[in-house]
Amino acid sequence: MTSAKTAKRLTRILSMLPYVIANPGVGVDELCDRFGYRRKELIDDLNLVFLTGLPGYGPGDLIDATVEDDEVYVDTADYFARPLRLTPPEALALLASGMALTSAGQGPPALESAISKLSRVVAPEAEGGLVVDLKEPEYVGLLRDAIEADRVVSLTYTAIGSGQTTERQVEPWSVFSANGNWYLSAFCRSADAERVFRVDRIRQAAATGETFNPPETAPPPEVRYTPGEEDVRTTIRLGEAAQWVADYYPVEDLGAGKIRFSSGDPAVAARLLLRLGDNAELVEGPEVAGLLAEYRKDIRARYGRD
Amino acid sequence: MQRIHLSESQRVHNPRVSKVIERILNLLAFLLTVGRPVSAEEIRFTVAGYEQSEDEAFRRMFERDKELLRQLGISLELQATDAFEVEYGYVVPEGGYELPDPGLTDEERAALWLAAQAVRLGGQPSGPEAIFKLGGVPGSIGGEPLAANLGEEVGLLGDLFTAVVEHRIVDFSYRDTPRAFKSYGLVHRRGHWYLVGSLVSGDIRAFRVDRISDLSLRQAAGAFERPADFSVEGSIPDAPWEAGPEDLTAEVLFDAEVAWWARREMGANAEVTEEADGIRARIPVAHVDAFIGWLLGFVDQAEVVSPLELRERLLARVGSAS
Repeated sequence: MTSAKTAKRLTRILSMLPYVIANPGVGVDELCDRFGYRRKELIDDLNLVFLTGLPGYGPGDLIDATVEDDEVYVDTADYFARPLRLTPPEALALLASGMALTSAGQGPPALESAISKLSRVVAPEAEGGLVVDLKEPEYVGLLRDAIEADRVVSLTYTAIGSGQTTERQVEPWSVFSANGNWYLSAFCRSADAERVFRVDRIRQAAATGETFNPPETAPPPEVRYTPGEEDVRTTIRLGEAAQWVADYYPVEDLGAGKIRFSSGDPAVAARLLLRLGDNAELVEGPEVAGLLAEYRKDIRARYGRD
Repeated sequence: MQRIHLSESQRVHNPRVSKVIERILNLLAFLLTVGRPVSAEEIRFTVAGYEQSEDEAFRRMFERDKELLRQLGISLELQATDAFEVEYGYVVPEGGYELPDPGLTDEERAALWLAAQAVRLGGQPSGPEAIFKLGGVPGSIGGEPLAANLGEEVGLLGDLFTAVVEHRIVDFSYRDTPRAFKSYGLVHRRGHWYLVGSLVSGDIRAFRVDRISDLSLRQAAGAFERPADFSVEGSIPDAPWEAGPEDLTAEVLFDAEVAWWARREMGANAEVTEEADGIRARIPVAHVDAFIGWLLGFVDQAEVVSPLELRERLLARVGSAS
């Protein structure tokens, strides 16, 4: 057993003991339920506790742990009457998770009061020092309901890079948030393939009356991109201020500041280059170069500069 | 009535691991009751579980045990055992072991556990240990929870959270520049974690946590006060171009085709009016480069009406059509 596992087991023992001390005679079943124990594990841990205590280690020094008619008692262990404090990562993870849910309008009503009670204890001097904002875009609720009921959804969707708008029928699997965006993972009937959509790019969504059979194991909720045979490959040299592109997109690092950028639609690369301006240079990719020139011309025309 | 002594029932766990757990429980029982700093030597000859080890074996065992206590969240300090400061001993300082009772109900604990399962920080979902410490949750929780990943491994964030909670100054490197910083708060917005506060030299700043490296916390707690008028919540703006040194209001026309998208993105501080063929928006801009980058995403379906200077900067960024 690694030290992480030992720490977990100790944490559970030092959490269970205060509960027993505060609730003498608590049932074995209740303890198992509350602390995720199997019966045998609980008895095993109580056995261990029974062998420990204070120097001297005689009958009056050892912790007295007994099970009587399935009721658990622990005596002479008042020093373990309070549970362990939370580590900073534990406290942060609980508070941040809770705030993420409440900011998204999710979670039961008890969550708000739980967060404020916990904050007072773990961050008494830093009120308002932690802010987690996970606003949900429109349609997340609708999609969640459709997933719950296995309902086919019709979408009007504008692709992120190309600006192209399409109508699709999808079988929704999950909605999730990552990197600050909300995504829908679904089987797209129009593309006859699984797809991940950005929820904020869904212009309109409506559940159709039709239901579908969800797969037994849907793909994990994550943003997937695998370059396909048909993809347009572009070589781009990134300037200092555009290095984030290499972190943000799944690109191939060619060294010497160059990357290979693949996308199903050349418009994605062209729009990115347009945004980057002087901070990036197109090294190779004739299709993209053509589009980019077109975009520049269109913009100049709009501003009356052609 | 049947009364069984538990030690008579069958044992299932690895005996070596059980020895570690027994020893740690003995060590904790001793440290929590002795009421004075105790030296490693005294621990070795007093606490059951250490007695058979040689010098070197004891030293290594004790180091591992101290690390285990730290993992559990227990703080262990070295203090002089007498006024002459000749010998130092270990002590669990006040508040170093126990969690003050937050007074949570079972319903509140269940809500926190639901949140911990639904939201991830970095790769690992939170384990149930924190909830056990809070008193456990009866029953399992059903329902398909919201899945969200707040990014960033919890390790660095945990240290920054400590700095915020204990008002400790931090030193770190940001884009290769060393910084000494008073951390007023942590904000997760638009997919990133930000550390907000004030440089020790005085300026209010925000740093992206994923770009912070070589972090260390200074020892002294309570090293600063957060100014009463500082809002952690308000320190990171809604839209990326709302933070910056510039201050202008852009008037932009968006075509009907893209108006829905522009509305979603432009933030709560923009004023929008309907036009025959789209919308007209007045948008506060503090970071012109970021704003232009966003506008170019609309290609020719958006046009800056004013100020003229912004039109020119956008056209300069676009360059010539060749």
